Amino acid sequence: MKSLKSMIIVLFTAVLSTISIAQAADSIVVFSGRSDKFVKPVIKQFTKETGINVTIHSGESTALLNKLKIEGNRTDADLYLSNDAGTLQKGSDLGLFAKLPSSLASPIDANFRAQDDTWIGLSARARVLVVNTNSPFADSLHSVFDLADPKLNGKLGITHSTNESYIAGVSVYMLASDKEKTKAWLSSMKNNVNGKVFNKHSKIVSAVASGKLAAGLVNHYYVYRHLDKHPDAPLKVILPDQGANEMGVAWNVAGIAMSKHSKKRALAEKLLAYLVSEKGQKVFSDVNREYPTRAGVAASSVVPAAGSYKIANVPMYQLGKYRNETIDLIEAVGMP
Amino acid sequence: MAVLVVVLASIPLWFVLFESSQLSFEQWQQLWSSRLPELLWNTLSLAVLVAIGCFVLGVSAAWWIARHDFPGRQYAIWLMVLPLTIPTYVFAHIYTTLFEADGWIGIVWQYLFGSADTIPDIYNIFGVTMVLSLAGFSYVFLLAHSALSVSTQTLEEAAQIQGIRKAQVFWRINLPLLRPAIAAGLAVVVLHALSDFGAVSMLHFQTFTLSIYLQMSGRFDYQSAASLSLLLITLSLTFLVLERFFRARQRYYSCRQTRKHTLKPASPIKIAAIWFWLGLITLFSFALPLAWMLSWSWEAWTQDLINQAFWGYAFNSLSLAAMSATIATVIALPIALYNNRQRSKFSNTLIQVSSVGFVLPGPVVALGILTFIIAVFPIVYGGIFALLLALIIRFLPLAVQSQDAAMQQLTPSIEQAGRILGATPLENLRRVIIPMIRGGLASAWVLVFIDALKELPATLILRPTGFDTLPVRIWIEASEEMLELAAPAALMLVVGTLPVLWILMKNGNRKH
Repeated sequence: MKSLKSMIIVLFTAVLSTISIAQAADSIVVFSGRSDKFVKPVIKQFTKETGINVTIHSGESTALLNKLKIEGNRTDADLYLSNDAGTLQKGSDLGLFAKLPSSLASPIDANFRAQDDTWIGLSARARVLVVNTNSPFADSLHSVFDLADPKLNGKLGITHSTNESYIAGVSVYMLASDKEKTKAWLSSMKNNVNGKVFNKHSKIVSAVASGKLAAGLVNHYYVYRHLDKHPDAPLKVILPDQGANEMGVAWNVAGIAMSKHSKKRALAEKLLAYLVSEKGQKVFSDVNREYPTRAGVAASSVVPAAGSYKIANVPMYQLGKYRNETIDLIEAVGMP
Repeated sequence: MAVLVVVLASIPLWFVLFESSQLSFEQWQQLWSSRLPELLWNTLSLAVLVAIGCFVLGVSAAWWIARHDFPGRQYAIWLMVLPLTIPTYVFAHIYTTLFEADGWIGIVWQYLFGSADTIPDIYNIFGVTMVLSLAGFSYVFLLAHSALSVSTQTLEEAAQIQGIRKAQVFWRINLPLLRPAIAAGLAVVVLHALSDFGAVSMLHFQTFTLSIYLQMSGRFDYQSAASLSLLLITLSLTFLVLERFFRARQRYYSCRQTRKHTLKPASPIKIAAIWFWLGLITLFSFALPLAWMLSWSWEAWTQDLINQAFWGYAFNSLSLAAMSATIATVIALPIALYNNRQRSKFSNTLIQVSSVGFVLPGPVVALGILTFIIAVFPIVYGGIFALLLALIIRFLPLAVQSQDAAMQQLTPSIEQAGRILGATPLENLRRVIIPMIRGGLASAWVLVFIDALKELPATLILRPTGFDTLPVRIWIEASEEMLELAAPAALMLVVGTLPVLWILMKNGNRKH
């Protein structure tokens, strides 16, 4: 009994001490909804250059935002990082973030940050069509709305409708074209997939590459990631809706915000400054072949250059404003 | 003391009641018309299918093992409980990869049937049923097995003398006798299915729990989430009452066996049949997942990915589970004792309320506690306290139930004897009661430990900043498809559970 008691005490102190290590003085905490593997390289570089330690607390973007909201001024978080502009704007609407100094916000294009500078986009991704070059659809798809074609029945890959990128994409289509059209499009796609949707974009790309599917709707980098491993895969990226009267490609950004209750603003701003610097921008976006949001920093050379095609004219903060409406639309159609 | 613990355990319930009372009538109406029919149907049919699946697997295995003597029998018992070491979300994740065209099952399928197109899809109710049945049938097995081991050969013989055919004995004698044990086992399984978060979210199957989570986290709509939780609680409580009803009838049936059951050696054909069936169960419930974990862990090992951080997660997990199990076992004692003394309506209500953590979805428990602590005791927030509290509340019912069961063996006369001999109540507790229910205490600790070690949703929300456990890492790595990082963590969970499972099994054997 006694040995058990002492064992418990040892365990307690051990665990409590590991926790206090995480909150040392010269360190900041980032709540991160973005994959660790895309966050760690840039953070490592930052710590190496400045000596400031960063604790990455990862999880789902939305879950972390809930945590931030409920914790209020008890939160440890100094910064909040998310893969989705919709979630970031939601945080701004809930009043969770601090306004960033204009030296940090102004280098980023106004379309890629909050209207009140409470969050800034760091890297952007394009919603594209991926097709199998051997399929009969290789040359006939030009618009996302072509995915409603009943001929694609059983040949179309889309993700589950709780996916952030998917929701953001639908928001853009709803805003850039028209709500009823988007609703009809969703129902036709629902028929085309017969209840079978994917939980990962990467699996859509694999299925298209293997010929099991003809086409899919994905973020651009998934295609290039697949081509890395299988350079000969019969895949083609189609940048949709490029016609004169068409809306252009839907973009979404990953971005960052500072907690209103951060007690280490000076340190947090150092990390922000690094992330918007040309060097930081390059490291942050290149690991995932995304588009830097700072003008003048080029994306990886394998992806189509940012200025070379038409982008849907929907400011990113709109993705947050219309997030619930989009989810309502998706649920009304009953998308799986 | 007992009341205090129960009040603590009911924090999430108050949260749910408060939040759902904020919902207006129109919102209720909207909720009712838009989501509920589908959710109810999904959740109920899943519960029924999982119950059937666990019944078939658990009772068949228990029957073969308890009533036949065959080579390797003692190992067979182990094989049937090993799946308890694998959490549902790990099962779900492993099976999604196995069922892909280039997964192991996919490859075998193509070899057998020639095409990858016909591989069954598991992102549906049948996939979830398979996962939850494989992950849960061991509970039914354990209870059915121990009931069959002691059950009454005399009755069976009497029935045969009365002219019943041998094949009918199982259906007409054993099954009715087993009913309380099976009901208890199925209750555990169904409650797990109702509150499961990991498997349903990996497989995207909309049940109450998943919908509550999405409502909460995606839409920041705590009121609808709480209202859905309230319905889920009602559902679970209805079910628990039914189960108690079945169990209450146990009293009429049970009669003590004076001699041990003699096992007949099985014929070679029967041995082959038994091992074929048990082997099939083991293949899917343990061998395949284990092989998967080993092969990806090997990958991780060769890539040198198992570093100090990994051992840190393992340490966090094990110490967290040990602390929760210890505290839960200690604080369950007053509740069980109180109920054992009183056996009143009030004490029974206390037990029911203390079990609320088990029927509420993990995310709701977590949110309730988070809200409570921030509002009432903000000073203790930030460390491990909130997480510990959540784990204890979630798994307290396991501790209460196994202690309550153990205390039924206590007769008041023993305690009275202690008091007559001059022991104070406290001394009585220490020197008489606790030694007598030692087995129940150990099972309580082990059951809480196993579930706390695997716990995912509350840990995801409440863990202190930078404090990752194995389940959290499995979740993160699996969602990024870093299989070589998820597998060693899953394997570590299995390895960490094995010793305590051994305690549980040894404990169970001693009783008979």
